[in-house]
Amino acid sequence: MVMEPQQTKIKKILIANRGEIAVRVIRACRDLGINTVAVYSDADRTSLHVRYADEAVHIGPPAPRESYLKMENIFAAAKKTGADAIHPGYGFLSEREDFAQACVDEGLIFIGPPASAIYLMGDKQMARETVKKAGVPVVPGTEPGLRDDEIIAAAEQIGFPVMVKASAGGGGKGMRAVYERADLPNALAIARREAESAFGDGNVYLEKLIENARHIEFQILADMHGNTVHLGERECSIQRRHQKLVEEAPSPFVDDDLRKRMGDMAIRAAQACGYVNAGTIECLVDKDKNFYFLEMNTRLQVEHPVTELVTGVDLVKEQIRIARGRRMGPTESVLQPKGWAMECRINAEDPYNNFMPSVGTISTLLVPTGPGVRVDSGVYSGYTITPYYDSMIAKLICWGDDRGEAVLRMRRALEEFTIMGLKHNIPFHQNLLSSFSFLAGRFDNKFVEDRFSMTTYEQAPSEVELETAAIAATLFAHRNRQLAGQIVNRNERDTSNWKWLSRWERVHR
Amino acid sequence: MKYVTYINDKKFEIEIQTDGTLLVNGEVREVDFLTLDESLFSVLMNNKSYEVVIDETDGQYEVLIQGRLYTGQVLDERAQLLASRSGGVGVDSGEISIKSPMPGLIVAIPVTEGQEVTKGQTVIILESMKMQNELKAPRDGIVQRISVTAGISVEQGKLLVTMT
Repeated sequence: MVMEPQQTKIKKILIANRGEIAVRVIRACRDLGINTVAVYSDADRTSLHVRYADEAVHIGPPAPRESYLKMENIFAAAKKTGADAIHPGYGFLSEREDFAQACVDEGLIFIGPPASAIYLMGDKQMARETVKKAGVPVVPGTEPGLRDDEIIAAAEQIGFPVMVKASAGGGGKGMRAVYERADLPNALAIARREAESAFGDGNVYLEKLIENARHIEFQILADMHGNTVHLGERECSIQRRHQKLVEEAPSPFVDDDLRKRMGDMAIRAAQACGYVNAGTIECLVDKDKNFYFLEMNTRLQVEHPVTELVTGVDLVKEQIRIARGRRMGPTESVLQPKGWAMECRINAEDPYNNFMPSVGTISTLLVPTGPGVRVDSGVYSGYTITPYYDSMIAKLICWGDDRGEAVLRMRRALEEFTIMGLKHNIPFHQNLLSSFSFLAGRFDNKFVEDRFSMTTYEQAPSEVELETAAIAATLFAHRNRQLAGQIVNRNERDTSNWKWLSRWERVHR
Repeated sequence: MKYVTYINDKKFEIEIQTDGTLLVNGEVREVDFLTLDESLFSVLMNNKSYEVVIDETDGQYEVLIQGRLYTGQVLDERAQLLASRSGGVGVDSGEISIKSPMPGLIVAIPVTEGQEVTKGQTVIILESMKMQNELKAPRDGIVQRISVTAGISVEQGKLLVTMT
């Protein structure tokens, strides 16, 4: 007889994260009537998640290892506020099995998978071995922990091109593609250095690089009652330096048969590590629709909203429900997603200057709304983007009846989205959504780096547009001169219009 | 007032007369320019409606209209005079400074003082926002002075490299 898992009450959740994902989790908690605790570093006193939470606790200086990564500070905050569960969001402590275990030891519910599953899937090599036994195909590669000379020897056997990856990695840190033997030693050095600084672990391993591959991942949900389902795929091939920029669900490349086969594989992979809660199976798919398990992300993904929009499932609510020991909402896998969803990551990066990150204060923020538009963001007008954390400003997610409608809504929403005060990548998204290859769904995970240019689809502005901009800039400058020159009688009419200003000039000259 | 305005490097002569009449290159334009917020404006021209956002930093104007960003300068008569004496706007010679665009850690300096570099060549690798960013030479030239060493942290705007 199977023991029914104990159902637990959750009254107050501490969100061990920051920015948009902390806001996202707080919203789900509010929907459920659960109280929330935010934690914040010195750099985040002004952040939106602090404003949205019921309680907020300071946990240290800006550097993540002294605040968001410092478990004892998180636990102290939980104790102080009487939180009974912790949601880790993504990044930071979300994929650390020692944290998941420590939560349990502290008598707190960790809203995520069991520590044992994080452990199995967190070690890339162990993950590969685990899923291989369950009949899941994997990309050929080496084990981690090898010396450089051993890795170089292994590369000869696997055959170039190869991919150097950090054992403890994620998010593209410590990852390098190597096409020739001569470049390998240097790539290993860089990858080890990046891995050391990002994860405190310089171990790397090799994988065969599958060319013209697509990055397609499956959303998994599993509860403590032995149910495991998938919620369909997400297409994440639009990447730059292994950072995803645009995701969509479903994938234009996946047909019903492939979805069925990959979905079954994803469920087997999740079951192989005894998975519970929300997780993602990342795969590479080659042009002949052969697929290979890459890794499992044992947490909520940045791009989870696209799945939510085509399935109607609130993934964060399901995570909490599962952590309470209840049966999850979805009872069957999603083989027919409803409509089409697309997400653009709006980052503080200058697409005209090699995607250089930009810091500064957002002077104007106008967020798009209307049918089929969702914005998940952690910023507001007047908010300052600091160099301490990642450069994501917001996620713009659009839904349409089909891919065409989703694209058109996204274009409209991108045009409405106004962010001033720092450089951002909205022009990149606008260009991407004009590219024929993207519109036709013909792209792989090297498309942005190898075949996309900011200038191909950008039309030169017309004479009228340039003149309009010139007139606006001139009137703006003129108005500021007038206002600066006006010392007496500054009143509420200062913010009046240009017509009035010219009258004022007439009177006072 | 007479202004010379450059938008995306295109020159416009714009005159605002004391009665409020606005002339572009000598031709009258009907403009309704309404201030909604510090940098947010509603502009009507020939019944065409534009939402315009304008930002100015150190004399550089950024104008956002319908999701498109224009950059430029607005020079009044005094500024025009100054610009004409110093050889015009946007000269392509002389000394240029490469400054840190954000706070970060200098990871590597792949060039040395006195070295010839070509446009687009990496001169500094700066780690910030969890990324290694390559700062590149804006044009061909010679590295004159390197003001930082690898391994140090720098503030935003810190002078890193001077080149001619």
